[in-house]
Amino acid sequence: MEDVRDLKELQIDALREVANIGAGHAATALSQMTNRRIMISVPRINIARLEEVPDLLGNPQDVVAAVLMHMLGDLTGRTLLLFPERVGRRLCDMLLRRAPGSTGAFDAIEQSALKEAGNILSGAYMNALSDFMGMLLLPSVPSLVVDLSAAVLTTTYLNFGHDRDFVFCVETEFHIDSEEGLRGHFLLLPDLASLRAIFDAIRVT
Amino acid sequence: MSPAPAPAARERIVKVADWAADRADAVIVTLGLGSCVAIMLYDPAARAGAMAHVLLPSKSLAHDAQNPAKFPETAVPLLIERLGALGADRRRLVAKLAGGASMFAALMTPGTLQMGERNIVAARNALRVASIPIQREAVGGDQGRSVRFHLADGRVEIRAVGRDVEVI
Repeated sequence: MEDVRDLKELQIDALREVANIGAGHAATALSQMTNRRIMISVPRINIARLEEVPDLLGNPQDVVAAVLMHMLGDLTGRTLLLFPERVGRRLCDMLLRRAPGSTGAFDAIEQSALKEAGNILSGAYMNALSDFMGMLLLPSVPSLVVDLSAAVLTTTYLNFGHDRDFVFCVETEFHIDSEEGLRGHFLLLPDLASLRAIFDAIRVT
Repeated sequence: MSPAPAPAARERIVKVADWAADRADAVIVTLGLGSCVAIMLYDPAARAGAMAHVLLPSKSLAHDAQNPAKFPETAVPLLIERLGALGADRRRLVAKLAGGASMFAALMTPGTLQMGERNIVAARNALRVASIPIQREAVGGDQGRSVRFHLADGRVEIRAVGRDVEVI
């Protein structure tokens, strides 16, 4: 496979299943951290031209809190956890046991809380994939930015990906059970070579 | 009776790997520059300006090099040509650059160049090749930028999350 556009229906279904297992474990971890019910969507495989990346998820002008990590070991790539800024603040309230609405700026302690959340979610996701596929997957340290969605997404692909024409992501949306409708996205961004390794591991050709 | 407000300037939105050229009554806008760079050319006498939102430092990095606005080396000649068609004189052109941030820098392999830095260098090179002087820059750093290029006077307003507007 030279190009993500060559993915077959069966392979896309298999990737969705893999993502569902990973996201299920990540959701359980998030649920324990926040003490709330978490719902996850059916994973989607998004394929886009590099130019279209800003429009990949939601409004490109929205400010998001984003935690990016490398995935190392038998698979290489990245994971990206994205929350709208408002949700990032609410998540800080929950993680730091504060009254709802009391998180203001993303200072050191808030940044640390969000990075830790990213760490735990990605760790749970990668662990589930490791078990399912019989592989060793290791997360790097997390890096956090609070910036425009368009800038975050293009930089994620440009600076760290190797594909400069068409790019893809395995995306799961999750909802935190609350009246305010809190949601975020978890993206798995395997390198193209690692896609092949995933298909080999689960015997999908 | 209060005076009628001045008519709002026409806005032209430039998306990633896109470009626009226009005249004095327009504002060219590009939103959410991360490691990308906005190259802006302006002829103050003709009050004509153009912007390209370049994505990659070199054509050699992409299989698909059809779109000239994607790379500095092809975007600069394109902007010059389009400004010529709007009555600009290339000898009067001056350039401004914005963007090329290094986000998630903690995850970069030490010793490697950020795509943002490479885009900045490639944009400066393309302008030098075209003999267009760079008047101002707002480049680098670790934050994304949104840019409004006012063709009435050539000023560029730059916004970043949690910061005051910077004018270059």
